[in-house]
Amino acid sequence: MSSLIQVVINGILLGSMYGIAAVGLSLIFGTMRIIFIAQGTMIVLFAYLVYWASIKAGVDPYLSLLWVVPFAFILGLGLFYVLFRKAAALEDRNVSLLLAVGLMYLIDNLILKLWSATPRGLDIPYSDAMIVVSGIRVSWLRLALLGLGLGSALVVYLFLKRTRVGTAVRAASEDMEATTIQGINSVWVCAISFAIGIAMAGVAGVGMATVYSFDYQFGFVFAIKALVALALGGIGNVFGALAGGLILGIIENLAAYYVGIEWIEVASYGIFMLVLIFLPQGLFGRRGLVKKV
Amino acid sequence: MDWRGLNKRRIVSLVLGALAVVFFATLPFYYDVHNGQFGVFFFNVFVYVIVAQGWNLVGGYTGQISLGQNAFFGVGAYTMALLWFNNVTHTGYYFDPVLMIAAAIAPAILAVLVGLPLLSRLRGDYFSFGTLGMGMIVTVLFINGGMFTGGAEGRMLVPKMPKDVVFNLRTHYWVSLLVAVICTLVVYFMTTSRVGLALKAIREDEVSAASHGVNVLKYKVLAFAVGAAMAGVAGSIYGYYLLQVTPSNVLTQNWLFLPILMVVLGGTGTIIGPWVGAFLIYLMSWYGDSYFTGYSPVISGVVIILVMLFLPGGLVGLAQRVPGLGRGGGSSG
Repeated sequence: MSSLIQVVINGILLGSMYGIAAVGLSLIFGTMRIIFIAQGTMIVLFAYLVYWASIKAGVDPYLSLLWVVPFAFILGLGLFYVLFRKAAALEDRNVSLLLAVGLMYLIDNLILKLWSATPRGLDIPYSDAMIVVSGIRVSWLRLALLGLGLGSALVVYLFLKRTRVGTAVRAASEDMEATTIQGINSVWVCAISFAIGIAMAGVAGVGMATVYSFDYQFGFVFAIKALVALALGGIGNVFGALAGGLILGIIENLAAYYVGIEWIEVASYGIFMLVLIFLPQGLFGRRGLVKKV
Repeated sequence: MDWRGLNKRRIVSLVLGALAVVFFATLPFYYDVHNGQFGVFFFNVFVYVIVAQGWNLVGGYTGQISLGQNAFFGVGAYTMALLWFNNVTHTGYYFDPVLMIAAAIAPAILAVLVGLPLLSRLRGDYFSFGTLGMGMIVTVLFINGGMFTGGAEGRMLVPKMPKDVVFNLRTHYWVSLLVAVICTLVVYFMTTSRVGLALKAIREDEVSAASHGVNVLKYKVLAFAVGAAMAGVAGSIYGYYLLQVTPSNVLTQNWLFLPILMVVLGGTGTIIGPWVGAFLIYLMSWYGDSYFTGYSPVISGVVIILVMLFLPGGLVGLAQRVPGLGRGGGSSG
């Protein structure tokens, strides 16, 4: 029994990474109506930056949050204005989708070329620190992941609910046309939500650098995982996306424990297909959103 | 649309296309395609044309961005390899039409099974990511297939080669050219018929198409299945070239992204676009690798972004805007 609890807890902790990525995807989807497939690649890129800052300059990975998140935000703004500004205004979403595919392909291979295919992972002095509660062991590092997930989801939630720009983003996710008629600059709203989505990738990058071993191909897989989390949780709900990530983490860890580690991917992609087919609005999503074009 | 100009233009492009096909079909008679590097080059281009033409039908003409071409390519290659390896059909196996047809049918069945639930939603990106998920599942299943698929090692077909057959690239060259031409004709006749009208109507406005009596789901699944069958045949041909089918060579992302890039660069929803795109992209990676080793995927990424930003109609779309060049401009590929 205690092993089952241990498995579930590990699943929740690792799943919060998927959750952070899914919150970013959800924000970008809300306004631009595309699933930003390069999100995982951006996470890996930031994980590499955090990794190199730690290796070359000795910056603690959690301290890196202070520079990586603003940097990611600015990079997101830049990417939006250079690449996606025109495409986001088009009725045809395929242009944005293919742009994201091109961006992913480009950054993945640039990372491969610059930093080789060697899997990287940080060796952190406090990585062995554990808390043990009645036989269940939880490492501080993984608990910090959950903290990152909850914290960033809360920040995004407060931004959406309490600020004027956040209100505009929410309005734009409901109906972009009506929002534009109200005099809200739709380009700026898209840019802000895209930049925050990329900033979330920065947060996830810190988490990835501390816990995972990652390489240049990991981004694609991770983006799919984030997408699975988003589909599970339901689009259009910040905490739903986070919860989707946690559930995916639990499913993966249960599959690894009871079936075998090589079947993790089959379990998560299988559930993804089932959700897409039978429950397209997700577990916590609003009904009706999916039916819209 | 200018109907008088169209007929003349169509005749010119048909003649140019026929001349190009005759040239490539007779190339092995005065050029050693087995030893010369152009043999391998054009064989690869033709294989990519087949996959790209399949994607063009789904993504270009129907407007559904499928991200599962590598899965269909791999399923086709594995269908051929496993039937041959386990000696199932008791036919010739090496370039056996029975196996190649099976390699087309298996992915088409998969496409129908996956396409029916995914394409019945109005949301296009659910289809994109469902097909992406399908590709991941297929890859993992083949890796974990154990004794059935040979796992990560795949299936080695070299020992199964018939004793009296000499491995000569000329066969691969001709078969791939033939299939590429057939696939192009299939896409041409599908898209210029009533089916094509339905597909384009779906691409432009799905709701409007449905309200005009087009069975949207039927046509989308049809296009998806035919596209999958093309990728499957290409996979079987490529399997005959590699003679070892493994997850890392027939299920890689290259078979997913490069064909899309080729169609987009050449011109989505044009019949000649995949040929132009396949030729240029493969030329780029062929020479790119010798001058900037390892950078060709990076260049491909830059090209796909630049094309989407500045040339959404592709090269064929550009050629059509130049007066006097018309549609014939692209058929040299």
